[in-house]
Amino acid sequence: MHISDDLREVELGLSELVLRGHKVVKGKAEGEAIVTRDSISFMGGVDPKTGTITESRSELEGEKISGKILVFPGGKGSTGGSYMLYDMSKRGTAPNGIVNIRTDSIVAIGAVMGSIPTVDQLERNPLEVIRTGDYVVVDGDSATVRIRKS
Amino acid sequence: MYLTREEEDMLHGKMGPAVQKSMEILVALGEIYNAERMIPVNSVHMPGSSVVVAGDAGTEFVEEMAGTNVTFKARTTLNPAAIDFERWKELRIPDEYAKRQKKLSLAYKSMGAILSHTCTPYLTGNLPRIGEHVSWGESSAICFVNSIQGARTNREGGPSALASAITGRTPLYGLHLDENRKPRLLVKVSARLSSITDYGALGYYAGRVCKGENPYLTGIPTDASIDQLKMLGAALASSGSVALYHAKDVTPEARWAEEVTAKEGPKQTVELGEAELKKAYEDLSKAQSDEIDVVCIGCPHNSIYEIRDVARNLKSRKVNTNVRLWICTSCSVKSESDRMGYTKVIEQAGGIFMCDTCPVLSPVKEIAKRDGLKTIGTNSAKLAHYAPGQCNLYPHYGMLEKCISATISGRWN
Repeated sequence: MHISDDLREVELGLSELVLRGHKVVKGKAEGEAIVTRDSISFMGGVDPKTGTITESRSELEGEKISGKILVFPGGKGSTGGSYMLYDMSKRGTAPNGIVNIRTDSIVAIGAVMGSIPTVDQLERNPLEVIRTGDYVVVDGDSATVRIRKS
Repeated sequence: MYLTREEEDMLHGKMGPAVQKSMEILVALGEIYNAERMIPVNSVHMPGSSVVVAGDAGTEFVEEMAGTNVTFKARTTLNPAAIDFERWKELRIPDEYAKRQKKLSLAYKSMGAILSHTCTPYLTGNLPRIGEHVSWGESSAICFVNSIQGARTNREGGPSALASAITGRTPLYGLHLDENRKPRLLVKVSARLSSITDYGALGYYAGRVCKGENPYLTGIPTDASIDQLKMLGAALASSGSVALYHAKDVTPEARWAEEVTAKEGPKQTVELGEAELKKAYEDLSKAQSDEIDVVCIGCPHNSIYEIRDVARNLKSRKVNTNVRLWICTSCSVKSESDRMGYTKVIEQAGGIFMCDTCPVLSPVKEIAKRDGLKTIGTNSAKLAHYAPGQCNLYPHYGMLEKCISATISGRWN
């Protein structure tokens, strides 16, 4: 169903869409989307100094997430991830904003501490609607995600 | 969310700035997950106890909290540090880490934490009972207390565990509630499980299927040891974020889990036989070269029985001069090992004890780069999973006997 919706939008030439979701962290952030179907462990799976994904087997291995809108299912693995994400935000290597299917508690607390606007539980699956390279605005205050297709 | 008068006072700063900040964090969490109210907790296990994990930002945050002279309300143990406090010089851990770590540990201690510095606090005195609400970090320990003890914790990160230690509260949501402790997947294990590496491989495979949902496992031997179950949970947690598993006739909530599975039907059923187990072994071995630079035993931290097995395997043998053998454990278990004579056997063979820390939480990435280390042999699925990203070391995964042979010959075969 999601895929056919997506195709219809392409056919109709709709280039912008707004999805409603659930607020995790307030505030507004925007940037280019980087999308993965893999869950992320910010501890052991990301280098906080460079903002690069280091987990082998991850779709994004070697990719930089700094300054982007990171779209992924949710966190996994080590509970060290909260401080790691907070540390990245202090260093300026964190993503600008986060969109999840469902934000887990480790990512949520890291994002709260680092003031990284985050929205989850969108009315449609963000992994199917958002593509890497799309321009995305995450608005925690209104719990919406605005997507401009690239 | 509903707050008691006392919790309102905490939130409004009547009990000082650290309590206020802590309550703000917990209320934020509670609101994200629609918690009705807070519940009291008196057992916390603290992730982010290593400066490698806390980073500069986290370390500063903990030190700021400690600077307000706040005292923990809950009993609190610490996860591994970045250094072995006795042997960090011998291990050639850079001075800068030792200095920062000592400061961070002292900050935790000044608030009331016990300097346990282990990922297996349940082996050394932090042991909640069935149904007890607790606030724990460290993915492997979370999986252990939820599954084997039947205590109830969410996956707490450093800031939320610290906030719970300070306030003695956690928001009531997630795994604190029966509904979320129900199994969603049925994993039928037909593979024969004997060594702890079989349990690790099983957990690694099943974790990737579970993706954070609770599994109900059948086919786990009822005489599985605590060490084997520890490895199973650690692997489930690292490959799949599993925080709770039920195992037929093994875990305390298993009978209930079986009833739920029968009544509601699992979302997915997975068969796990010899072929799947073999695949997991292969996936966990990522090293290209058979030359071994490091062998590490003790992720999660070794129990006294695991150390006994290392000593038995190493007796009258010599570790190859090109290999470092690291034995990771808590200082409590190490002192038992000293008394039993295991330490002497292991050290005489050339093994090195690494207490209070481990490769994942110490600056091994820098040490590997400095000393040209590339491969690691281990019997831990969790370590094999994290070693490439966190340590820049590529793993060979296999049984203890195989790991010890590799420390002698310098080759994995």
